[in-house]
Amino acid sequence: MARSDTMLPSGREPKAARPAAGTTASRRLAARIDEYFGILSIAPTVVIMIGVFGAPLALSLYLSFVGWSPSQPLFAGRFIGLENYTDLLTDPAFLRSVLLTLGYTAAVVAAELALGLAIALLLNLDLRLIGLFRALLIVPMMMTPIVAALCWKLLLDPARGLINQAIGQNIVWLGQPGTALLSVGLVNVWQNAPYVAVLILAGLRSLSREPFEAARIDGANRLQVFWYVTLPMLRPFILVALLLRTIFEFRSFDNVYVLTGGGPANGTMVLSIFTYMTSFVQFDLSLGSASSWIMLGLSLAMCALFIAASPRREP
Amino acid sequence: MTSLASGRRAWIATGLAYVALVVLLVVFLFPALWMVGLSLKTRAQIFAPEHVLLWSPTLANYAAVLARGEFLQGMASSLITATGAVLLSLLVGVPAAYGFARFSFRGDRLLFYALLLMRMLPPIAVLVPMYVLFSRIGLANTYLAVILAYTTFSLPLVVWILRDFFDGLPRELEESAWIDGASRFQTFRLVVFPLVRPGLVAVSILSLLLAWNDFLFASVLTNNATRTLPVLLAGYASGDTGVDWGPMSATGVLVVLPVIIFSFFAQRHLVTGLSAGAVKG
Repeated sequence: MARSDTMLPSGREPKAARPAAGTTASRRLAARIDEYFGILSIAPTVVIMIGVFGAPLALSLYLSFVGWSPSQPLFAGRFIGLENYTDLLTDPAFLRSVLLTLGYTAAVVAAELALGLAIALLLNLDLRLIGLFRALLIVPMMMTPIVAALCWKLLLDPARGLINQAIGQNIVWLGQPGTALLSVGLVNVWQNAPYVAVLILAGLRSLSREPFEAARIDGANRLQVFWYVTLPMLRPFILVALLLRTIFEFRSFDNVYVLTGGGPANGTMVLSIFTYMTSFVQFDLSLGSASSWIMLGLSLAMCALFIAASPRREP
Repeated sequence: MTSLASGRRAWIATGLAYVALVVLLVVFLFPALWMVGLSLKTRAQIFAPEHVLLWSPTLANYAAVLARGEFLQGMASSLITATGAVLLSLLVGVPAAYGFARFSFRGDRLLFYALLLMRMLPPIAVLVPMYVLFSRIGLANTYLAVILAYTTFSLPLVVWILRDFFDGLPRELEESAWIDGASRFQTFRLVVFPLVRPGLVAVSILSLLLAWNDFLFASVLTNNATRTLPVLLAGYASGDTGVDWGPMSATGVLVVLPVIIFSFFAQRHLVTGLSAGAVKG
């Protein structure tokens, strides 16, 4: 292709001046591609979406309505209607897992938002070395969750961990339901509050300065500026952080798997772990599929709730 | 007088801000630094109270880990699956991002939001049937299975973030290329594609990090011959951690180190990537 785009005005160049590009057959193919370019550009993505998302979800919806074991052919399961679902919804362990997941998600996300907002406000100050603080404080969020969990597991070790040595106690942090849930929650807050801070800091830095200056001139103190100017202007960014963190905490898996594996006494059995254990440890993939679909339903309900709650954009 | 008082108050406020920042830094960095410390201790030093903060560091744990076949195999698996997922997602997703930005067709919005759902819905729910499907068609325990699984998060990232970049380009650029006789594909490849390079860097980094850090997909879709580093490490770390803390910590450091180094150099792009999809949402 001649680099005619460097000439001005390129569009006025007579067509005959260009070198002929390829044979008529290849030109006809190019014209065909042009005609369907929109569809062709998106088709591979659609194929992958069907392969890794659409087909698996359809399969699990089917599996959730049959009694099926992995030793059978794929479609040899016996149709049992809603039995998998009623089994789950009458299982106290599953219901406890649902409540635990919702409560855990709400508490952890609230803590992450509060801490993340505070960190973002600090990192937004015009101080020397602030760039260094910004760079270093995001380290936990970058860490592989399995490694972050390992760090904390060693710190929380009952006999030899630093935390017990430092406070001179012998607390089995991950061995009792209450402290285990607290520990798992705190590790998640530790890892993800910086993520909230990054999102909100990006918001803070995009705000125009005029409302702040106007408020100062009108005699508002720092607290009033924060409450009546900063917070309302940050609303869309806080909402996005809330949405993303809720969705990601609802699916919590890695940290919990390493720290407690769902125990002790199912004390940290969040839904992802429950579904994983049902599907890949007990190897009941039909029940696991039903559990998956209940998780999908809850996720969709949460997304719908957020979309309904988010303010309409101006046209 | 008042300026002196307000000057002192500003000074105190600055001091308090620094104190708060240093406290935060200690809280957020100490656990990671502690693990680095453990990785540089002998087993005797790890469990000796007098060596909590002062010891003569040793690299023996790293030497031991790097000599393990399973570590090197895990590193290879992690590299192959993460780069494979990024390349596949770019190959497939970049044209799609352009398509979504420039063309409209029936169901385009629906398709676009389905892509968002792919990222938002819990991965375990997709993984259960994916495992069944992949093992039936002989894909289980292959790198391709893991790479395909990773596209559930990397493909939406590529398409969502790059569509915004393509949207931001003036259409006149393409129109003048068409008038010059360039085909749509040539226009895409020679005119438009080079202009979204910053966006490409951002989505590549973000997808690479997510793939490198994944544990859930790899734990189900790999076996001993194809397992990635997080799966290997989870094998040591879940259940009873035993007393082999030195090599375990060294493995952890080696898994995270590339990510941390990488993200320092790429921080600007990372923030673009993390907030681009979010801010426009």
